[in-house]
Amino acid sequence: MRNMTLGGYRVDNEAPHINVTQLSVAYRDQWVLKDVSMTVPGGRVLAVIGPSGCGKSTLLRVLNRLVDRASGVHIKGQVQVGNFEVIGDHVDLVELRQKVGMVFQHPNPFPFSVFDNVAYGLRLQGVKNSNRLRILVEESLKQASLWDEVRGKLRRPASSLSGGQQQRLCIARALAVSPQVLLMDEPTSALDPLSTAKIEELVLALKGQYTVILVTHNLQQAARVSDFTAFFREGRLVELGPTKEVFTTPRQSATEEFLTGRYE
Amino acid sequence: MTVHQKNLRTERVQHGLFLTAAALLIALGFAFWGTLGWGALQFFLRHGLNRTILGLQYHPIKGQFGLLPFIAGSLAVTLIAVILAYPLALSVAITATMVLPRRWLPKIRQAVGSLAAIPSVIFGWWGLAMVVPLVRNLGGGSGFSLAAAGMVLAVMIIPTLSLLAIHAAMRVPERWVEGSLALGATPDQTLGRVVLQSIRAPLAEAGIVAVGRALGETMAVQMVIGGQPFFPHSLLAPGATLTSEILNDIGLLPPGAFGHRVLDVMALLLLVAMYGLVLLVERIGGREVG
Repeated sequence: MRNMTLGGYRVDNEAPHINVTQLSVAYRDQWVLKDVSMTVPGGRVLAVIGPSGCGKSTLLRVLNRLVDRASGVHIKGQVQVGNFEVIGDHVDLVELRQKVGMVFQHPNPFPFSVFDNVAYGLRLQGVKNSNRLRILVEESLKQASLWDEVRGKLRRPASSLSGGQQQRLCIARALAVSPQVLLMDEPTSALDPLSTAKIEELVLALKGQYTVILVTHNLQQAARVSDFTAFFREGRLVELGPTKEVFTTPRQSATEEFLTGRYE
Repeated sequence: MTVHQKNLRTERVQHGLFLTAAALLIALGFAFWGTLGWGALQFFLRHGLNRTILGLQYHPIKGQFGLLPFIAGSLAVTLIAVILAYPLALSVAITATMVLPRRWLPKIRQAVGSLAAIPSVIFGWWGLAMVVPLVRNLGGGSGFSLAAAGMVLAVMIIPTLSLLAIHAAMRVPERWVEGSLALGATPDQTLGRVVLQSIRAPLAEAGIVAVGRALGETMAVQMVIGGQPFFPHSLLAPGATLTSEILNDIGLLPPGAFGHRVLDVMALLLLVAMYGLVLLVERIGGREVG
């Protein structure tokens, strides 16, 4: 179900679960995801860990179909976000991407003002009323715990913010269009520890309202913020379970090797 | 002499050379402005502004020096060229950077670059063969016209303008494009609201450079414009520009001849216009993407 906006205040419906069934993805003849099946419960945070090139980022980019931008992509299998079919030739990508927001590895605010960045997606959706825009922008910035730092500076260029603030701005920008799912692709890898902590707090706060998939190289981060952890290696899902169990009593030896730093 | 002292001396000599070169260039600039300015000033003192820049009749042998026909001709030709060329060049840039596979981009740039290097006389010759007959068939008359000149100039500046626009579009980082798409923007919306929006300044700069190129072109224009010193009442009529008229009259008004200084005035007008464009580019340019 779509989120609704009532008089400027959002009423969020249940965050959807995500079902991945026998998903395989290839760039030309290189299979980067192989026969992945998994379920992410709605409103929870799934951390995706694994060595570089294990297919983590591709998984995220399948979920909002940004993967289509690469040339020669083959996708097999099924992915559902709630009842929404993600894979197929006739998927409404605009609708999908409004449902499934994304935060990138490097903060990528547009070269506009703080306000215009957050309002970007709203304007795409046809929100023109400036009062309503202002309310929604403020609300999104509050949700991304950036409001206190940028109030009164909304007309400043986004590039004047610090890296951590820019990343929270990008989160606010994604939240503004009322997604149900938030994909985060190593969102703190370019940030200092303090900014990282703020983003982690934010992820914890968003839990419940959004289904979050967080790709991270930072194992402590996965342990701190996620409910579930998935370990990928060479395009395969090796293990998926509650984070505590995966970190303390992994079922697969490969997972244990990775967690203890013995994996090459 | 120690190595250190030797180095110091070499350095001093180098500095001296650079300074001399720079001073020479600046002196040359002053000499340029000075000569033209002096000539133009004498001319104005003798004939007054009304009968030169603002005059309509040009007949130097009879002492009529109205330059308005050529000013209008230059403006009209430049305007036609830029209006025709700009959308085409922008389309080339967008197609090359956003639509076609990225790996084709170097080849496209090479191809466009080679077009930009074609000497203008070849464009003029091509205009004689293609554009003049086209205008003749469509609009009647001889075909030699402001319209023909504008069209030839448009074709001539498209490569340069395309290259500049491609450069600008290449500076838009992929992460902005992806960020926009990820928010549910269509590719068209992304193009309009993020890509073009963020390169407004370099695109404007490219436009000004194109205006400069069109305004200054002489040979290609002279070959197709018809060379008539009358105020252009129709774009399909023959006319002349400041540049083409200078070329025309160099033989007619050699140094020392009566009215020779009118060429200084025309040159000065062009120089001032170009200088204005340079100032404009400097105001817009230097600004980063965004």
